[in-house]
Amino acid sequence: MTHEATQITSPTKPSEILLHLGPQHPLQPGPFLLDLKIEGETIREAELKIGYIHKGMEKVFEDRTYLQILPLTDRICYLASNSNNDVYCRGVEELLGIEPTDRAKYLRVLTNELCRLQSHLLGIGEYATDVGFLTMFIYMVREREGVVSLLEAITGSRLNHNYARFGGVANDLPPGYKEMALKTLGELKKQVKSHDNMLSSDSIYLRRTKGVGVLTAKEAGELGVAGPPLRAAGVEYDLRRMEPYLVYDDLDFKVITQNDGDVFSRVKVRLLEILESIYIIEQCLDQMPSGPYKQDVTPYITRPKAGEVYARIEDPRGEMAMYIISDGSDKPYRFRIRGPAFATAQALPPLLVGGYVADVAAIAASMDSCTSEVDR
Amino acid sequence: MGIFEIIMDTLVFIFATNPFSPWIRGVLGGLVIGAVFGGALVMVYLERKFLGDMQSRIGPNRVGGRFGVLQLIADAIKLFTKEDIIPVKADKWLFIGAPIVALTSGFLMVAVIPFDYLYINGNYYAVAVSRMDISILYLEAVSGLAIFATFMAGWGSSSKYAVLAAFRNVAKMIGYEVPLGITIISVAVMAHSLDIVEIVEAQSNLIYEGSNLWYIIAQPLGFIVFFIALLADVGRIPFDQTEAEEELVAGWATEYSGMRWGLAFFAEYLHAVVGSFIVTLLFLGGWNGLPIVGNLFIPGIFWVIGKTIMVMMLFIWIRAALPRYRIDQVIDIGWKVLIPLALLNLVWATIIGLTLA
Repeated sequence: MTHEATQITSPTKPSEILLHLGPQHPLQPGPFLLDLKIEGETIREAELKIGYIHKGMEKVFEDRTYLQILPLTDRICYLASNSNNDVYCRGVEELLGIEPTDRAKYLRVLTNELCRLQSHLLGIGEYATDVGFLTMFIYMVREREGVVSLLEAITGSRLNHNYARFGGVANDLPPGYKEMALKTLGELKKQVKSHDNMLSSDSIYLRRTKGVGVLTAKEAGELGVAGPPLRAAGVEYDLRRMEPYLVYDDLDFKVITQNDGDVFSRVKVRLLEILESIYIIEQCLDQMPSGPYKQDVTPYITRPKAGEVYARIEDPRGEMAMYIISDGSDKPYRFRIRGPAFATAQALPPLLVGGYVADVAAIAASMDSCTSEVDR
Repeated sequence: MGIFEIIMDTLVFIFATNPFSPWIRGVLGGLVIGAVFGGALVMVYLERKFLGDMQSRIGPNRVGGRFGVLQLIADAIKLFTKEDIIPVKADKWLFIGAPIVALTSGFLMVAVIPFDYLYINGNYYAVAVSRMDISILYLEAVSGLAIFATFMAGWGSSSKYAVLAAFRNVAKMIGYEVPLGITIISVAVMAHSLDIVEIVEAQSNLIYEGSNLWYIIAQPLGFIVFFIALLADVGRIPFDQTEAEEELVAGWATEYSGMRWGLAFFAEYLHAVVGSFIVTLLFLGGWNGLPIVGNLFIPGIFWVIGKTIMVMMLFIWIRAALPRYRIDQVIDIGWKVLIPLALLNLVWATIIGLTLA
């Protein structure tokens, strides 16, 4: 596997054709162009072309005050909006030299894990349609509805939550939240176990996914891929464990790994992580201290001291990082986002070469990349 | 010989062996075509509603009351009023002809499907548009026409997705028509006839007169092979690689729009309905009632239709429960699994057929 940007060559033999999957194609969650040179059903070369919805977010951020950036971080990837809020706030807090309150830390972990749940559920659902399993998609969306409602009850919105604040969170839990959450999550746990059972025992599904699109630990490391694709290759790499932020070192959880690094393992990792996240949320609800959910004084215009910060988080898709340089003014001097989906997207073309056209959808969806974030 | 005479000769050939008077035959033909047409509509509706139930969603519930019974009419109006687009680079006649060929092959199959076997004035009459001595062979031949439609559509659209889908379909059909043919031969061997009416009648007295032991009991392996091959033949999940949405957009129908797409879509359901009829007639005893218990005073035609609807439900259930195979796996299964099993079943059918003859 070469790690240079591969450029597709024009077909030379009459048996080869160039197949464009995109920029508009049912395969995709967002617009990108996947050019394939195929011979029969076999893929000879693959090239990914991105940038169709490039928004220039990092540059935009440099022209906004710190508080104005906060709702925009939601839009980096709508499925990971809580993680993005959180990592941005932690970066700015480090620059400001403040700490969120204890209750706020738990609330952020809680919403981050809920966010991971809904992202994984939708990811598996989309992936299921890509192997022709529409029923599983609808089941997953049904389960996700409960999780989204839980998020909505806390944050007030269903997609772009905009929940974290510098030194705290936007608001406290609504009354009776714990009972409601435990009920929904208990149901979800049962359903996810049954779906896992269904997927692991379906012989057609196993034939479609076992040994397909293998990403080894070495390749993943070289390409900067983290998150479920890396853990599916057997590497126990999870920022929640390696660099515990917020209150993760007080919580008990396993880092889920699988050994094969194929499509099946990546989805299996996500399914098991859902169960693990539910366990984390249950602990959060139990251990959550009372107290203020935000700092008494949150300045409207923040002017951090000059300096730089690199904040990282375990996003649903991998390692999300934000690099902020402050020059002492009310706007960041330089802003840089290191997105997990960008890394997973660039790992895609090498995985496809030598495979079948029919596997493109399954492999692409199992990587769970997010076009919005790739083209941020 | 002019084209008109060819058509008339074909019609005469189709109707020649029917003992009813021409007037009754005409009405019967209309009724049967209407019934199967309606059957396809019922299948589309059932698919939406039943699949919706299985996937814990509601399905159509707006047009025509809370069960959405008029949804299909609304869809048809929509399809008729949509713009009819023929791509500039398309091969125009192939493009236009493909849905017509698909639908024609479906309706030609309907001609020999018997719905009942009536005893009137000391004679038995098959309720079918046409009764042929070789009706099962005719069915097999005519159903093969459908493949031309998909290939015409795929090639004529001059779209890469459509061409790939057409190639997939041809590869699949070549692999699956063989086990389908062999299982049909085993049925014919057991019944000592190529006439569907006699095949069904043979199922009622397999061991003794009126035992109603259907061929699903006499050759279960044959039923399984036939059903899987039929699923592939009508292109339903897990064998719908030709219209795998995430890879090939809409497969060979990618460039079609409006009513042309509607016809192609409808032809597919027509094939599924006719396929269900064939399963009913060949393996589920047709108008014969339950084994041992008998007909329970229910007319044969209701048995046929009831069983056909059950088979359609089975199609829909399978669609809800299974993901899709990859095309190379499909071909593998066809050649390496189904054909040997079909041959094994042929041996079994021959032995049983000779013993019980």
